[in-house]
Amino acid sequence: MKPLFLSPLAALALALTSPLDASAAEPTKAAVNETRVEQHYAIGKLPTPSGVDPQIGGLAVARDGRLAAAFHHGEVAFFDPKTTSWKIFAEGLHEPLGLLVEDDGSVLVMQRPELTSLRDTNGDGVADSYETVWDGFGMTGNYHEFAFGPVRGPNGKLYVSLNLASNGASVREEIRGAWVDLGLPREQFYAGEWGGKVANAAGRMYSRVPYRGCVIEVDPQTGAGTPFAFGFRSPDGMGFDAAGNFFVNDNQGDWRGTSPVHVVKRNGFYGHPASLVWRQDWDGGDPLKFPVEKLEALRSQPAIQIPFASYANSPTQMLTIPKTPAWGPFGGQMIVGEMNVPRIFRLLPEEIDGTWQGACVLLIDTKKLQGGLHRFAWLGDTLVVGRTHLSWAGGEGLGTVKPAGPTPFDPLTMHVTPRGFRFDFTAPLAANAAEPSRWIGQRYYYKYHASYGSPEMEKTEFAAAKVTLSNGNRTVDVELPDLKPGFIYDFDLGHVESTAGEPPLNPRIAYTLNRVPTK
Amino acid sequence: MTTVSLFRGLAAGAALACLAPTLPAAESAASPSAQPKKKSAGPALKRIRTIKLFMRDGLRFEPPRFEAKPGEDLVLEIENGDTTDMAHNFLLLKPGTREEVVTQALALAEKGTAQGWVPNHPAILLHTPLLDVHGLATLKLRVPEAVGVYPYVCTFPGHGMVMYGAIYAGVPLPKLAEDPNLPPNAAQGVIAGRGQRPFAQRVFLPDASPAAIAVALTGSQNACWDAGECRLRYAWQGAFIDASENWAGNGSKLSALSATPWWRAPKDAFPLRFGAADSPRPAAKFLGYTMNTDGPEFRYRAGEAEVREQVLPRRGAPGLTLRVRIAEARGPVFYHAPADANTQWTSTVGKWSGTVLTLTPAEAADFTLTLSSALCTP
Repeated sequence: MKPLFLSPLAALALALTSPLDASAAEPTKAAVNETRVEQHYAIGKLPTPSGVDPQIGGLAVARDGRLAAAFHHGEVAFFDPKTTSWKIFAEGLHEPLGLLVEDDGSVLVMQRPELTSLRDTNGDGVADSYETVWDGFGMTGNYHEFAFGPVRGPNGKLYVSLNLASNGASVREEIRGAWVDLGLPREQFYAGEWGGKVANAAGRMYSRVPYRGCVIEVDPQTGAGTPFAFGFRSPDGMGFDAAGNFFVNDNQGDWRGTSPVHVVKRNGFYGHPASLVWRQDWDGGDPLKFPVEKLEALRSQPAIQIPFASYANSPTQMLTIPKTPAWGPFGGQMIVGEMNVPRIFRLLPEEIDGTWQGACVLLIDTKKLQGGLHRFAWLGDTLVVGRTHLSWAGGEGLGTVKPAGPTPFDPLTMHVTPRGFRFDFTAPLAANAAEPSRWIGQRYYYKYHASYGSPEMEKTEFAAAKVTLSNGNRTVDVELPDLKPGFIYDFDLGHVESTAGEPPLNPRIAYTLNRVPTK
Repeated sequence: MTTVSLFRGLAAGAALACLAPTLPAAESAASPSAQPKKKSAGPALKRIRTIKLFMRDGLRFEPPRFEAKPGEDLVLEIENGDTTDMAHNFLLLKPGTREEVVTQALALAEKGTAQGWVPNHPAILLHTPLLDVHGLATLKLRVPEAVGVYPYVCTFPGHGMVMYGAIYAGVPLPKLAEDPNLPPNAAQGVIAGRGQRPFAQRVFLPDASPAAIAVALTGSQNACWDAGECRLRYAWQGAFIDASENWAGNGSKLSALSATPWWRAPKDAFPLRFGAADSPRPAAKFLGYTMNTDGPEFRYRAGEAEVREQVLPRRGAPGLTLRVRIAEARGPVFYHAPADANTQWTSTVGKWSGTVLTLTPAEAADFTLTLSSALCTP
């Protein structure tokens, strides 16, 4: 195969959005934000290999510092930052949506039909062995049956996730894997009866072949795959934090009032009922007909709910920021991408008396990122972002994000306290931050139900009852009149200022309150 | 200012090394050690654009058109990726002169081959020689300052009336389907694998499981090998699959075959049996494949046996061969070759009884089946 010469940087990238209307008397809020982002972060781009569709399914960095990427038409290629050139490693894969580079130079890649190990056995730099690691799951041919991963756990096991099928389309006449009937024979799905009644009975998202809607644990030694966690819909983002906690997110939709981030445990159930048919305790009934109360009792709450639309629509990969001087206090925190809006978020999870919960807040919000921020990898301090769309909202190509200035004035951490929340900021607050009226927000929750999405329920405004500054005005204890578990506390910090009189770069921060600590 | 170099086979690397000296120092990816080091490790922002152009099956250029700035310096890498053994050239012309140049090329008649079917015409801005399959040419181009639509065309006899495209220099692109400067087939999809043979592409295919693999063999044969069922499903001749509808959408659509298969395996008919011809169908598990220089070799477990199965073009005549290697079979092995009126099976070893081939364990260790059909013509 051929080494690929660099394609022109501009040719495959989308046009950059120019700053907003300069003739307006006052720049808009968005334009101010764009300008402020530029003072802290440099956003650039990387080329993609010429002749290759530039939608990115997976990104990873090899031990030798090369960047590996998986592309929409099935290529896996390596980018050498030293020579800025690409070399194709493998081709012809079916919609690869994640990869890992092993220390021996082989690549693990999750494609639609299987987890595959790509290996160069003759030393020519191109994979010749496409070895199936695990393909013990079903495929109906429904388009929505995407497969994500792999991520490696601290135990050395690999984890992949399998999407549900969508009733926006039926199944193929030939499928892979045993069919679960649930009162709807397979013929009704692909024959003329599809649509209307059958499609409705199937559920908005359905799991009729193994193990759609599950996170799977794969033993790389034996090639055995076992359902590990249940209740997912479209779990694009998986990742382990430094302490070994396993985070899996999902997309807003049916049984997903908004997009959740879960900390998952073995055999846990995380909300979407369709995949309960693959749990050992399944009683043979149609989980979509289980009463909500039963499902509510079975499920584990999301650790973090990312408010729909106002924050994000469709979360993607989660990755930890490196602890380097360039990233300053954000080092060690987790980020998550987003498909529909050009935004990257920070996630601030914490465990309170055994219950996971926490906040999400924007890291960077600028059109310059472009949408479809699907995959991330670190080339040193530089965050490489890989975009895709797969015909939905999104983008394509590779971008870069690097700190290029002082750490912005932003909330750094947010913790729940028995009477409210404690914030740490990246810089001291102005003295007027002691005024409780500046600490306001709204609380609401999302409904757990079969319908698609949810309105913001019982939405009410709140304001601080008492504010205490400490730690040289970097830390703030905000006491609220009351704290109600089950609600999202969505703060608008746009009324507090740094000592320079500037509001936080990212003033919205939303905490999912599952449990109020006793001390 | 035109520099042309022609390389054959897979010598694209050599072509790039040759091209590099024509580029400014900072642009050279091929010989960084000979050049002063760049200040930053990141990609330089000012590069000469390289446009890759392929000649494709069905008399098409890919891409069929592209935009350039008047006066822009470009590098054109042109590769004959046509898998049907056709030679092509590339001529870039002044606006509005395509038909005239094509007519003049045709008039070269017996002199045409020697000139690579390039006539002497003042409208020709630059051109390649005639490129055989895998032939590669690199052209350096300064796009003319005059705004316009500059056609490119293959003037090999019979090609010029359909095989053309255009550089839009300072002119906005119309909708692809309505572009008057493009042939009607320009809006068609792309052939998977960029013309490489052999090639394996996993994508949804018709009349197979969702885990099937499309295989482009050296020459013009193609096969569907179904990893969901661990068996050959069908074969067709001509261009490889067009997966563009699958790739352009959410993944729902099937890939299109370029021709009706000349052979199909019956549904639910796994060919191998162990111990007895009528023993139960063994469970099959796909293990992966190796991309060899002559094509992919699939591996699977059938019952207790591990099987290697390579799909190859039949030598010297149209058809397929299937080289099957079954390690350490414990007893006789039976291969049920599905029969139909047009299809003929032969084997290097074993005994035929009707359509069932009986093999001893030693014979099963390495045997080659040949599949040909009256529907598969040279």
